[in-house]
Parts: sequence; C-alpha cells; structure tokens
Amino acid sequence: MSATITGWSRGSVVAGPGRATLASWTPGPVTALSERPLPAPDAHAVVDFDVRAELGRRGTSFLDRATSLAVVACRDALADAGLEPDDTNRDRIGVALGTTVGSFKSTSEFSLDSKVSEKPYLVNPVLFPNTVMNCAAGQAAIRFGLRGVNATVAGGPIGFLAALRYATNALERGYAGVMLVGAAEEFSEHRAWAHALSTGDPKAASVGEAAVVFVVEASPTGRAPQADVLAVCTGYGPAAAGGRDRALRSCTRRALRTAGVGHDEIVAVVTGEADEADLSEYRPVTGVLGKEVPRLLPKVYFGDCGAATGGLGVGLLLAGHRGIGPSPAGAALVTGCDPDGAVAVAVLRVVRA
Amino acid sequence: MTVRVVASSLRTCFGTGDQTFEALLRGENGVGPLRHGSADRLGVERGYHILDDGPSRAGRWLAGCAADAFARSRADPVRERVIAIVGTGLGELAAVEDWALGGAVPDPEHLHYGGVLRAVLPGVTDVITLTGACSAGGHALALAQDLLELGEADVVLACAVDGMTRSMLAMIGRVAAEPTSRVRPFDADRTGVLLGEGAAAVALTRTERPGPALASVLATGLSCDARHETAPDVAGIAEAMRDALSRAARVASEVDVVVAHGTGTALNDPVESAALREVLLEPGGSPLVTAVKGAVGHLSGTAALVNVDVAIRCLRDGVVPAVTGLETVLPEGDGIRFVLGGPVEAAPRLVQTEAFGFGGANAVSLLEAA
Repeated sequence: MSATITGWSRGSVVAGPGRATLASWTPGPVTALSERPLPAPDAHAVVDFDVRAELGRRGTSFLDRATSLAVVACRDALADAGLEPDDTNRDRIGVALGTTVGSFKSTSEFSLDSKVSEKPYLVNPVLFPNTVMNCAAGQAAIRFGLRGVNATVAGGPIGFLAALRYATNALERGYAGVMLVGAAEEFSEHRAWAHALSTGDPKAASVGEAAVVFVVEASPTGRAPQADVLAVCTGYGPAAAGGRDRALRSCTRRALRTAGVGHDEIVAVVTGEADEADLSEYRPVTGVLGKEVPRLLPKVYFGDCGAATGGLGVGLLLAGHRGIGPSPAGAALVTGCDPDGAVAVAVLRVVRA
Repeated sequence: MTVRVVASSLRTCFGTGDQTFEALLRGENGVGPLRHGSADRLGVERGYHILDDGPSRAGRWLAGCAADAFARSRADPVRERVIAIVGTGLGELAAVEDWALGGAVPDPEHLHYGGVLRAVLPGVTDVITLTGACSAGGHALALAQDLLELGEADVVLACAVDGMTRSMLAMIGRVAAEPTSRVRPFDADRTGVLLGEGAAAVALTRTERPGPALASVLATGLSCDARHETAPDVAGIAEAMRDALSRAARVASEVDVVVAHGTGTALNDPVESAALREVLLEPGGSPLVTAVKGAVGHLSGTAALVNVDVAIRCLRDGVVPAVTGLETVLPEGDGIRFVLGGPVEAAPRLVQTEAFGFGGANAVSLLEAA
C-alpha cells in the first residue's frame, strides 16, 4: 500500500492562527452546552466552537454539532494541503469518516420529539438529515463539492482507523484519487450520560469531543507529503478469554508485514487506552515488537473522543508530540480496540512534521 | 492486474449455462405465462420463469450455482481463503411479501445468503451479500477482483440471484403502456421489459494459481450517474465504460464484442446506444453487439453475470449469438453492428459486458480468453 497524508486539520491537536480549535487538551466547564443536568460539570469540550464564525450563516443553521465540527475539520485539512476542489478534480475527491452512531443528540431529540409531540409526525423535517449517520460526510461533500466516494464507517473506538482502511482501499483500487479521512464526536448531554453510565472504571477518561480530518492521496502526489500510511489492518477476537489480545497481536504482525516495516523500526505506539495504567493494547503490541517503545495516549490528553481517538493519535505523531514524532528513519503504530473485540492497527511513517 | 475465471455456473429459464447458450444460438425465447401474482392486477402477463416454485427458491438456485462453481474451482478452504459475494436486487423479498399477504413469517437469517451459502460451501471464510439493483452482479465481480488483488482472498465466488417479487412486477406493469409479450432489445418497436429468474456464480482466482481457466477478467468499471432515480444517463454509463478500459489499459478499438444490457425499454436502449457510440465507435471501434434479455428476460441482480457467462462462451467457442427479439434496429442504434438473424462466427479477443441499475449504478466488465 502507498497512501500519503498531504494535509490535516492541525487545529485538532495544535492551536494556531488561521485554523479552528477542534479538540480540548484540558477539561473545562460544559454546563453552557446543555440545558439539562450533566453527570459531571467538566469535560474535554471545545466550548467556544461556533460554526457560524467558522463557515458563516449560510447553510449552517441546521447543522448539528458533530457535522459542524467535521465540516470545519475538512475545510482546514483541504487548506493545509493546498487542495482546492474544482471541476477538474472534484469527481475524484472523496470522504470517509468514522463514527460511533452519528450525532447521538440528533437522533435522540428527533425520536423524543415524535413521542412528546401531539402527533408522532409533528417533528421538524429539516432536522431529519441530522439523524442519519452519514450526515457529516454528506454535508462535507455538499459544502466543498466533493463528488468522489462518500462513506461513513461506524466503528466506535476504531472508527477512524476503519475509515482510514476504507479510504486507502478506495485509493489503492482506483475508486478515488484523494480522500478526506477523519472522524468527529460531539459533546452532548447524551454522550456524557452514555459515557458515565457505560463506563465501569471510575478512572476512565472523561468524555471528550473532537474532529480531525486528513487529506490522504494515492502516491505519488504533486503535494508535499507529511506522512505515509504504510498499512491499516483490522481484526476481531471475542473480548472474553483473551480473544481480543490474540486478534490484536495477529493484526499487529499482519500490519507490519503488509507495511514491510521491521519490528526494530517502530519508534512509538499510539493507543486508545484510557490511562497510563491501562496496558490492554500496549502489552499485546509490544509483545509482538519484542521491545518497549514510547506510548502516546490521546484519551488522556483529549478525553474519550470515541471514533476520533485514532485520528487524534495520528495528529499527535504529525505534530511531533513529546518529541516522538517518528523521523523518516522510524515508523509508528496507531492501535485501537472496542469492548466487543474489534481491533485495528495502522503503520505510519512521518515524512515531515 | 487481471483475475482468472476458473468456473462459471448459471441458472436461467433454459436451465444451465450450456443449455442457455445453446438456446441463445438457436434464437429461442424462454417467455411464458406469469407464474407469480395475479396478471390482471399487476399489469404483467408474462415472464421468463424457472419452473420451480416453493419457498426460498432464489436461495436454492443460488446455492446450486455456488456449489457447482465451488466444486469445479477445486478450491481448498483448508489452504485457501474462499469468500463468496452475492449481488442481488431484491433478495428474498418475495418471502416478505408472502408474509404480508398472510403467509409464514420468514426467518431473518434467510433474508441474506450467509447461512444458505455456508451450508453448501464448507470452510468458506466469509459470505457477503450486497444489494446493487440490476448491476449488483457487476459490483460483486468488481469487489471480487478487489479482494483478490489486495490479497484478502485466494478464491472468490462472485454470485448473483433474483427471483420475481410482486412489487417489482407491479412497478414494471405501471411503467409499460400495455402488457408486453416479449423483450425486444434495441428494436424500434420494443414494448418494454419483462422479468426473468436466475442465479449465477463465477469462481475467480489470481493469475498465478495453477490449473485451467475459462477466461480472464481484466477489469470492471463502476460509476454512479447521480442524476435520476430510474432514468439511465449517457454520461454515467459512458464513465463506467471508460473506467473499465482505463483499468484494463485497453483502448476502444480493441473491444471485439459487447454483451449489452439491452432491456427493451423506451429509455435504456437509446441511452446505451449513445454511450456505445461515444465511447467505442467514435474512437474507431466497431464491436459486434449482442444482448440476451429477449431470450432469458431481465434477471435483475443476476443480469451482469449472465452476460459474463455468455461472454466467456463467446471467447471460448468463437461464436456470438444474435439479439433474440431484435428485428428492426432502433434509429438511435444506426451504425452499431448488432448481431441479427442468427449467430455470427468470430474470434473475439476482448469482450465487454454491461449492466445498469436503478439509482444510476453502472458496471461494465472486460474479459479476454484465458
């Protein structure tokens, strides 16, 4: 496989002028984002995010928060790559976004409306598009005129990595020339409560919101490469009885073999683990590598951003976080797992920070 | 890269692939009185039926074709990863319609083909059912080539199946001015489409796998019109043809035979003719063009793979059957070399097959001799 990242929404990881901030390094008060009680007063939310300030009033009135974050991330990734969609290229530019359930808030409130309204059909029809899981990918394509492959991959914690795999397959098989690949998760009381009620471990990272999008192209490309995506593999093993560990080890070996990268070349691992004490991914992966390597933990920095976790991990590598963005001599693994036993491993080589 | 066809199994109103091709060469048509639903209420009086009723009949035809192609492929699931992909338009919707009309509640597991195929393909790694309207089989073929060339599978069975459903029959009845007695592809006096029943399975492998092969699939071009829910679009169809040529690294003048979609409807045949003219004729091509729906009806999701089976036989036998039901070529087909009257002996090297579905889903494949 040879796919290349030529741009990304840098504001997802590194604040800076001319780009939107699309994730939060520090938890802060989120009560302003909800009219109803929340399980916790703080979360990793981009509280100041304002889609109208970013995109203007036109076409943004009915966008939900997850879609708004994703569309802004697509805009910033296109700008970073210097890629301007026009009639000569728009048929070959596609979008692949990972998600958990789309906008949980949009589906919940639309369903609730139909139950509390006088008649079940007395719902606001303009809000219906927000209830489908591919709303964000579709709205990004509509706004920027991207007529290529348009896909939404519902993979939960491995959503971004599954979308990256989908996109690199589409590129490798010639179904698209450029793919915007990413994921977005919004903060809402619905996600906050779902997270609080389903997290058994009280130390688990608090809920977060983020959007992150990369411009990924079939190599070679006219634009300056920032990283090469050498392999993305997925697998499954029943989480009980060690099946998931075995699946992750096998997936890691497969990814390294596909990438043509030796164990000794891996200089960092980015995992979807909850905190430093959580070794559920690091242990199987380093078991395959036969050595310890530095570890980055997007959930510790940004909260649990669901499907966007892997994308934030790739962003951390591109940003050279903690000085372990791998040099051209080294490669890094980005791993993810879901509670049922789905696993994913990507192998990347950063070309230029 | 190309992939090899190591087995192809077909079931139509005429029977097997051999029987179907012989019937095509004889110019027979397999139409008969409609066997499902009530003809007067549907506005459809005839169909190209497989004379086999009873529950889950589509699943049975599919299982028969898949088991046959699997056996003849000599796939060894212990050493080889075998994946089956089923393209279908409406799957087992007939069973759901029976339920709505007071029949038995269908088992949801039987509404896709995972269990049906696992039962006849012991050791199969995965079964994937995809819906893709009338180009579903072409999408299955494209995905099969993707899986082989990406190294995700060693043997792929690209399968397709569709029976008849009352809802599809009613739709056909509503769009025809009056009930059609037979399908006449590309004819000036065509009166619309009729459904056929059928299933197909094509076993594919990478080129380096030893053993005999029937033909090679060079590429399948896919496109989506993104224009209209039902009406075909010249630009979208032409795009699929160009995509196939580009993927196969071939030029228009190399295409010797086209097994066309040819539905005999008011819209498809002129649009398909225009796309053939634009992509193949204008750059200097002059292929023979045939079509099978006058003989076997429109097999919906199976339509693409029937054409592939016929293409393989044209390559192997050096003969191209006539378009059953075509007497007077439509004005828009002027200059296109439709095969008329009887089969033509030829030695084709490159054959193009076509299938176009509602929603603007198009699939065009290019095959050559193994």
